[in-house]
Amino acid sequence: MTTLDKDAFQPLEQTQGVHKLSRPSLSYWQDAWQRLRANRRAILSLYIIVGLLLFTFLGPLFWDVDPALQDVDQISQPPGADRSAYLVEDYLPWQGQAQPARGSGLTLAEPATTQAVRLVWAAQPGAAEYRVYRNIYPIGPERAFGLPLFETPAQQTFFEDRLDLKPRQYFYSVVVLDNRGQETDRWLSLTVDVKRVVTRSEAIERGLMDAAEEVPLGTEFKFALHPLGTDYLGRDMLARLMHGARISLFIGFFAPLLYILIGVIYGSTAGFVGGMTDQAMMRFADFVVALPFLLFMILFKVIFSISPGESGILPMLVAMIILLWPATARLVRGQILQIREEGYISAAQLLGAKTNYLVMRHMIPNTMGVILVTITFAVPGAIFTEAFLSFIGMGVAPPTPSWGSMCNEGRKTMLTTPHELIFPALFISVTVLAFNLLGDGLRDALDARMRNRD
Amino acid sequence: MSEAHLNSKAEDADSEQNFARSAGRQLLVFALLAVVFLGALMWGLQTLASMVGSSTASAQAIDYDNHIITIAIREEPPQLDSTRATDVSSGMILGHLMEGLLRMDLNDRLEPAIAERWELTSAGAKFWLRKNARWSDGKPITAHDFSFAWRTVLDPATASRYAFLLYPIKNARAINEGKLPLSALGVRTPDAHTLEVDLENPTPYFDKMVTFQTYFPLREDFYRSTQGKYGADADKLLSSGPFIATSWIHGASMYMEKNPYYWDAERIKLNAINVGYITSDPGATLNFFKDNKIAYTTLGAEDLAEALQQRWHIQREQDGAVFYLEFNHRNDRLTRNKNLRKAMQLVLDMDELVYKVTKLPGYLPGESLFPVWLMGVNDYFRKEHPAPKVRLDVEKAQAHLQLAKQELGLETWPQLVLLSGDNPLSNIQSEWTQGVFKSKLGLDLKIDKQIFKQRLEKMHAGDFDMVLGGWGPDYDDPLTFGDLFASWNIQNRGEYANAELDRLVAVAQTSVDQTERMQAFAGIQQIMFDDAVILPMYERGVTYVVNPHLHNIKRRVIGPEVDFTSAYIQK
Repeated sequence: MTTLDKDAFQPLEQTQGVHKLSRPSLSYWQDAWQRLRANRRAILSLYIIVGLLLFTFLGPLFWDVDPALQDVDQISQPPGADRSAYLVEDYLPWQGQAQPARGSGLTLAEPATTQAVRLVWAAQPGAAEYRVYRNIYPIGPERAFGLPLFETPAQQTFFEDRLDLKPRQYFYSVVVLDNRGQETDRWLSLTVDVKRVVTRSEAIERGLMDAAEEVPLGTEFKFALHPLGTDYLGRDMLARLMHGARISLFIGFFAPLLYILIGVIYGSTAGFVGGMTDQAMMRFADFVVALPFLLFMILFKVIFSISPGESGILPMLVAMIILLWPATARLVRGQILQIREEGYISAAQLLGAKTNYLVMRHMIPNTMGVILVTITFAVPGAIFTEAFLSFIGMGVAPPTPSWGSMCNEGRKTMLTTPHELIFPALFISVTVLAFNLLGDGLRDALDARMRNRD
Repeated sequence: MSEAHLNSKAEDADSEQNFARSAGRQLLVFALLAVVFLGALMWGLQTLASMVGSSTASAQAIDYDNHIITIAIREEPPQLDSTRATDVSSGMILGHLMEGLLRMDLNDRLEPAIAERWELTSAGAKFWLRKNARWSDGKPITAHDFSFAWRTVLDPATASRYAFLLYPIKNARAINEGKLPLSALGVRTPDAHTLEVDLENPTPYFDKMVTFQTYFPLREDFYRSTQGKYGADADKLLSSGPFIATSWIHGASMYMEKNPYYWDAERIKLNAINVGYITSDPGATLNFFKDNKIAYTTLGAEDLAEALQQRWHIQREQDGAVFYLEFNHRNDRLTRNKNLRKAMQLVLDMDELVYKVTKLPGYLPGESLFPVWLMGVNDYFRKEHPAPKVRLDVEKAQAHLQLAKQELGLETWPQLVLLSGDNPLSNIQSEWTQGVFKSKLGLDLKIDKQIFKQRLEKMHAGDFDMVLGGWGPDYDDPLTFGDLFASWNIQNRGEYANAELDRLVAVAQTSVDQTERMQAFAGIQQIMFDDAVILPMYERGVTYVVNPHLHNIKRRVIGPEVDFTSAYIQK
């Protein structure tokens, strides 16, 4: 047991700085920003959104390609496809005038190019007609010869294939038909490797060489680069994605900003005035909620007399603004009602604060967090709505791209050229996810009740 | 306390690892749950579907026991009134429900149908009808049913767009124009089973013409009892052919059963044809075929890879139709200007369209209004009279465009309207055209996509600058294409008028000398090119697959597109 001596009762020396703040003073916004910064997901999303904005608005400066320009040499090209081509003479019609088939089988009259594959074969005894097939798979025992290209009469033992030739391996077969037009079991086949070529006039037209220039045949050229490939008409996917992002982001930012502004004004008026006015205003909001969006979108299209083939972006914007504000109005009204009854408001009123001061100093700053969060969640919603409406053909008019309409076009060739669907779909998903995660982070950061959690 | 504090760093790393592991475990559990839930949901829905839709369970491609096949059609027929039908879908369904005086056999040769024999001279034709030919309600088909049908077609009140097909009959044109009464038609019925026809001019192909739907019979009392709604519903139809429409759910499906009263019922092996789906989406029909829900489907360019992979036996046929960019020649349209049309003619590369854009086998680049399969005097018409070729030239095109601008007194070009269908193939073609005109001529095109019915309405109303039009032959003579752009033809939707062309059509209609007629067609072909009345885009081919157990399906160039009347099922 310790004994107390006199020293224990000495007063403390007077010291300065007891009331020194241990941490710097933080405003509401600074605090929110700090907490947002700690949220790695939200920050990553923010970077993605900034990147997307740069992609949309600065991208076209660096990648200056017309999104409607059709490159018919490179239709539905996946990214990273080989784009070298060899120069050949202009296409000349061919009537089989080359040498007759060597040997008894099917041979090439000329080297196979993407311009044309010219086949010749030896006449088969008893043939009334020949049917020429092309396949991309080797012909197996089930004898699925592939794509029937044409029937030629008995005296024509040559055929020129120009249909959508790709630089790849093809399996050609010629099947002998009897005089009733039925296939017999006699057939010839040939494996052909096709080389990509470009004709002299095409090369001049594409700007690969000058008209005056003397370039020897066989020179290798590179076709225009498409980093993300091309779509079904040979249009550059990257340029289309950039321009499509404009539509998506325009709707994504403008519609929420406008309808949330309306909602805030409407809701705060209702909440602040209260009483019968509040009742009447909120019942009207309930009525607006009950209106079907899609139907109104179509109605606005009719009212604006927008015929098919014209952009439906304006009616889409109007429909969203007119129909989507009530949710925000309800939220803001609830906040205002709550704040109105707080003690500090009564105190301020007792001290003689005017309505203006109350609104500007207390009401709006206190609802700001809620409004911001609503906006960040409304943006992906609006982007999604635009994509959906363009997907069903109610949005942009061709050739203007939008992510939704690009998805719709890509969907048709999903199995053969998946990149046409994957890229726009990826952009929609990433954008919507980024906005949602950012909204999540903002909600946590701006929630005053979570302020002292950590 | 302090010890714990020291170790916090190590613990942090540890807990992070723990966190990753537990998060991984959670994710796995969630994934498993999701899979189980989805599986259960799919199973549940499938049982529910099989409980509810017992009728759809029978909708297999081929019902082997009952000899029923299920097919899909692209468009719903606007109505099934043979006097007014013009479109392919109506033609195909009518080809199964109805039969005319004569028909084409599987080798495209004429054979007797309701008429058991016939005689064709330069002055007229005579048909002897079968005594045992009966309507689907059991009453006999008489010569009067034909004369009534033809008078109905020609009655100006009917406003049939195919009335001109009957113009070879004496006085038909005057009646259709309202200049003569219906009774003046050169058709006589001496008795119930004899039909005599007087011809306006010698028409050597008249016997082939009567196989077409517009010549099908119609029974007066039944037609009147429907009060103007003939052909609008399954019960407002009377069949003279192999099948009866027993149900028609508009926009969804149709069911055709074998007609027990059909005179040639023994020929028909199928008991019913279930038109189970109406969709113009080739992707959807491809999936139906893959799932064995339909027995026949055509293939679009994007389906070919799938078909090759499935190792189906793909078939191909030229379907006879020609497609072209049709201009509106009405006074208030810019496309009336010849220089504008010429400019467009000089930039559209149809080889590119066919070989690189549409990418379908069997399509031929368009060169002429007359397709390659038409016969001339001794050889194919196009071999005897090759079509003039367009030499693409962008500079020349721009010169024409400049001239057009001056002639029309325009500062800038307004947007032109391109009317188009709403199927994937039309989409690609219209967007390709839009792109070419924009990049080579700087012209802006607005694409007006419409469903089939609406597009036909707009075409006839002249509500377009350009339209992706096309024509399938109605009978086996170049005239079926040759008279399309005569000023009097109601199918001349752009209202092109040219006295010289009208004269050539008249020569082709009336002359008995084949050489002179072919010269006239060659003249028409030249005018179409020189005046750029239309821009031929392609001759359509069709690629299709048939269920390997279904045999004897006939695709026709003339008449119903696909003919299942001789089809039979054999495993």
